[in-house]
Amino acid sequence: MSKRIFITGFGIITSIGKNAFESLDSLLKERSGFGSLDILQTAHHHTIPACEIKLEDNDLHALAGVQPHMGFTRAASLGIIAAKEAIASANLSKKEIQNSALISATSAGGIRELEKYYYQLKDNTQKGAFEEFVDTGNPGEHTERMAEYFGVKKQIGTISTACSSSANAIMLGAQLIKNNRVDRAICGGAEALSKFTINGFNALMILDPQHCRPFDASRKGLNLGEGAAYIVLESEEAMLESKREPLAELLGYANANDAFHVTASSPEGMGAYEAMRGALASGKVDPDQVGYINAHGTATENNDLSEGLAMQKLFGKNMPMFSSTKPYTGHTLAAAGSVEAAFCLMSMKESFIFPNLNFKIAMDELNIRPEVTLQAKKNLKYVLSNSFGFGGNTSSLLFGSV
Amino acid sequence: MMEKRKRYYVNGAGIISPQLTFDDNSFLESVQEYNTNALTCITPDFKAYINPIQLRRLNRMLRIGLSAATICIQNSRLQKIDGVIVGTGYGFLIDTAKFLEEVLSQNEKHVAPTHFMQSTYNSLAGLVALSIKCMGYNNTHVSKGFAFESALQDAMMQVNEDDALNFIVGAFDESDPVQYVINSRKHHFKKESISSLALFESETVGTIQGEGAAFFSLSAKPTESSLCRLIDLRMIFKPESETELKDSLDQLLLENGISISDVDIIISGASGDVMNDKLITSFCNSLNSIAQLRFKHLCGEYCTASSFAFWLASSILKKQTIPESVKKNDFETPSVIQRVLIVNQYMGRNYTMILLESLVA
Repeated sequence: MSKRIFITGFGIITSIGKNAFESLDSLLKERSGFGSLDILQTAHHHTIPACEIKLEDNDLHALAGVQPHMGFTRAASLGIIAAKEAIASANLSKKEIQNSALISATSAGGIRELEKYYYQLKDNTQKGAFEEFVDTGNPGEHTERMAEYFGVKKQIGTISTACSSSANAIMLGAQLIKNNRVDRAICGGAEALSKFTINGFNALMILDPQHCRPFDASRKGLNLGEGAAYIVLESEEAMLESKREPLAELLGYANANDAFHVTASSPEGMGAYEAMRGALASGKVDPDQVGYINAHGTATENNDLSEGLAMQKLFGKNMPMFSSTKPYTGHTLAAAGSVEAAFCLMSMKESFIFPNLNFKIAMDELNIRPEVTLQAKKNLKYVLSNSFGFGGNTSSLLFGSV
Repeated sequence: MMEKRKRYYVNGAGIISPQLTFDDNSFLESVQEYNTNALTCITPDFKAYINPIQLRRLNRMLRIGLSAATICIQNSRLQKIDGVIVGTGYGFLIDTAKFLEEVLSQNEKHVAPTHFMQSTYNSLAGLVALSIKCMGYNNTHVSKGFAFESALQDAMMQVNEDDALNFIVGAFDESDPVQYVINSRKHHFKKESISSLALFESETVGTIQGEGAAFFSLSAKPTESSLCRLIDLRMIFKPESETELKDSLDQLLLENGISISDVDIIISGASGDVMNDKLITSFCNSLNSIAQLRFKHLCGEYCTASSFAFWLASSILKKQTIPESVKKNDFETPSVIQRVLIVNQYMGRNYTMILLESLVA
């Protein structure tokens, strides 16, 4: 099981850019996707801001290269756009794609379309184009759409572990390679904003009506976002054979469970600690070697406290630089793990650590502070990315420079 | 270099289904007939498995799922569980629909979070981990007709990584009226009402809706309570021909040094849908085996129905008896049932194969 796994491509679309180039530009210029909800039809248009991609479904269909009225949900379209960029950046051949695994994550899948056509779909006397969306209430539907679009045959899978989903999708892809099931895996997640999700989080009272402030003492909750990101994983042998240049190595990962509460993290961050500790142990990297942590940092009271305490406990005096990029993209839920994996790859390639926007006042409970300005950081060797979620799910990924 | 073949033992099971299956002392001797095209679980007294305070807070499927997991853990007699892996096709659709209807009918005002929280796909895996205080690996697969097999494969890979660990792997899906209506547009379910036990005589399109929750414990080491050994599995997305299924099976057998003549029983995932059953029936009939079983007339069709077949196969291998109610053709039960192959299909798109072996011989 000592096979090495490399990353040879990635693609991303969020409210701060519809590809890697635009995303990096926004990150460097500290441009956030935060604003009012204009595309999604919702009663909360003025009351709940979010990080929305300002493209109508038709525009996304065009970007994805799919026909309109064929039942491609917003989540599936976002997934295709990001995965297409990932495949192009790794320059995978048709045959390589066919023999790859496609592992995608989502929390809401096509619920946006289910809620839009719900009453029509339920009334079997009504007929029309909406019938293309009959099965979009299924979370695996978007992955099957993507697999059909790209021609992936060998292995397809969908993960849903709330906000840690796409980190787990990346882990699963790595496991499939290590177990010789596939040589390559396209892994990530896709999430579209929906009334379902917005009202769910609103009812839980963890949405901030202002721009979110991770790790800040005045934080009031998260902002939701939408997007998709995928990375291409390859075994060392497959990569050498195909003569591709790696972007980074996936050195380690861990998945744990807080086993504390259905929706809340344990105050001392046991699960978060276990995930980070496990990722470092599996990559055989010591805490003091880590150069940067892309924190989960949702800006909820609960998450930032438990994640902060877990980081303090694990790293002690050798606390590396850390930041949450959630103020840029909002919390893209199941896609957050792969979106932030893409940001980590950018950090390593561009030698920059992206700032934790909106941080002003340190939390009383913590003695660590996130980076608040863009930091030039050469030779970033080891980077950790955290993704935690409801149901106690906690996951960490460890990337190494090449 | 040949890697040493890993072994995976099924050390216990717990299943709640539309048949009386939660009691390990009965084995489909008498079966329940349904006439509604939607089968629902025969449930135990939940109080035997869930404390009363927790019980009140859980929706029906969380109760069923947690009880099945608890039965599995009790039957496995394990001191420690190191990880929880769950598969589901549609998750908690009933709560999803309830929350959605609240949001839509109240125009997004004064919505309560209860149904939203309980509609999250990973809430069962989280709940099981919480109830046994398991801080280890935790994952939820939602890959439609591959969901249960993906969860099994995940557990197999975790065991490969560390063969000292014990995992519980489960699956659940529920009979949801909204899904029934909506998916009937794609002819998923039969237009006419039939008797569930006459499913395979229907000769019409569509199937009957089913549900269930099943959990199994899996590890690299057998125990006194072990049911069988899981050899390997395959998932085939939208096979274009019978040859593609055949190639996949040949590869599975070859990699594990087994010939098709070593397989004693085939469990077919035919669903009583005259269209979707064509390929699987022809494929199963082409295999060199006399004994064929079917099961979807007992549990109905759902994304993770193969978990019912997995329980059926592992029970047959343990008990060395085959219930009459699942036999497709007349055959003499082999003196020793060594291997069972499950071949499943979901809506003609997701095909899977699972090969299990007896520990008796």
